[in-house]
Amino acid sequence: MAKKTYDLLFKLLLIGDSGVGKTCILFRFSDNHFTTTFISTIGIDFKIKTVELRGKKIKLQIWDTAGQERFHTITTSYYRGAMGIMLVYDITNEKTFDDIVKWLRNIDEHANEDVEKMILGNKCDMEEKRVISKERGEAIAHEHGIRFMETSAKLNINIDRAFSELAEAILDKSAGREADADHARIAVERRPSRAPPARACCS
Amino acid sequence: MSDSESVEKNGIEVSNEYVENGTNKLIVKCKFCGSKMLDKKSGTFVKQEKDLPLMQQETGKDAEVQNEKVNEFYHVENMYTFENIGFTHTVDNYKYLSCADCDAGPVGYYDMNTKHSFVALSRINHA
Ligand SMILES: Nc1nc2c(ncn2[C@@H]2O[C@H](COP(=O)(O)OP(=O)(O)OP(=O)(O)O)[C@@H](O)[C@H]2O)c(=O)[nH]1
Ligand SMILES: [Mg+2]
Ligand SMILES: [Zn+2]
Repeated sequence: MAKKTYDLLFKLLLIGDSGVGKTCILFRFSDNHFTTTFISTIGIDFKIKTVELRGKKIKLQIWDTAGQERFHTITTSYYRGAMGIMLVYDITNEKTFDDIVKWLRNIDEHANEDVEKMILGNKCDMEEKRVISKERGEAIAHEHGIRFMETSAKLNINIDRAFSELAEAILDKSAGREADADHARIAVERRPSRAPPARACCS
Repeated sequence: MSDSESVEKNGIEVSNEYVENGTNKLIVKCKFCGSKMLDKKSGTFVKQEKDLPLMQQETGKDAEVQNEKVNEFYHVENMYTFENIGFTHTVDNYKYLSCADCDAGPVGYYDMNTKHSFVALSRINHA
């Protein structure tokens, strides 16, 4: 009865300043203000999503983090068990980008040392309000040796892809540890995205 | 475990075309976007009467949650059995289950005490 129906389970956290769009990344962006659903009122704590990567069935458990939390109040318990962290800033807000460095330091201090990180520059649909160029985002990610992507929770650009990539990075890491001599890289099967074709700003 | 055993366990006649050997014969999907929630045979059919908040709440007025009675559920012991599912924040020791792709819900609930999940047959599609 209780047979295990998956190969691996990865716990992922969404972290970043208030207002960058963490909740919208987890919760489908709704601009319908005329109806409220029970779910949108209560809010999503976490989601379980299943992805297939290199023939492995992987369950992702993705957690939103409490809005008002600031990096100086986030401690070890917060990061417990997390294998991947999405570090989110808002491309229209300089402060949220500057704080990335503080978040990274906080992660270094409190999270598992081999936690896999990825930086997301969110709200890339708001080109006219952009203050952080994509190059600056790429530069800071490169500097810290982590992955980077621009996303839009509103237009659903790169959201699924970002989670797939983070999962893949965690998988790579664990595969490396297993000293698996299988060099053949099997193409990654991505889940079909409900996103419209990616816009230039995020591609 | 034979079919008749699981039927008699609850003392209720199971006359559900979607249930076979006490579990879901078909894949459980979101009614709205088709997102796969449960694989075949991963939930145990149970009858129990529960109040479940309506998916669409009437707006305005004083926010009293509107419920309906639901009688048929799939019981899922381990949350990681789900393929794709959302869990809301906790309300009175329950979390509510929603579609991980379009956020429609509640399609069921999760009991914080037992850590078991229950998916309402009336809120999902079989495929
Ligand atoms: N244009 C645009 N707006 C977005 C996007 N993502 C989020 N927003 C808006 O940004 C605001 C904040 O989004 P949230 O998801 O609540 O931000 P958060 O990171 O969860 O904030 P806290 O919970 O306070 O930490 C909301 O008004 C959203 O509508 C996006 O991709 N594009
Ligand atoms: Mg939030
Ligand atoms: Zn759905």
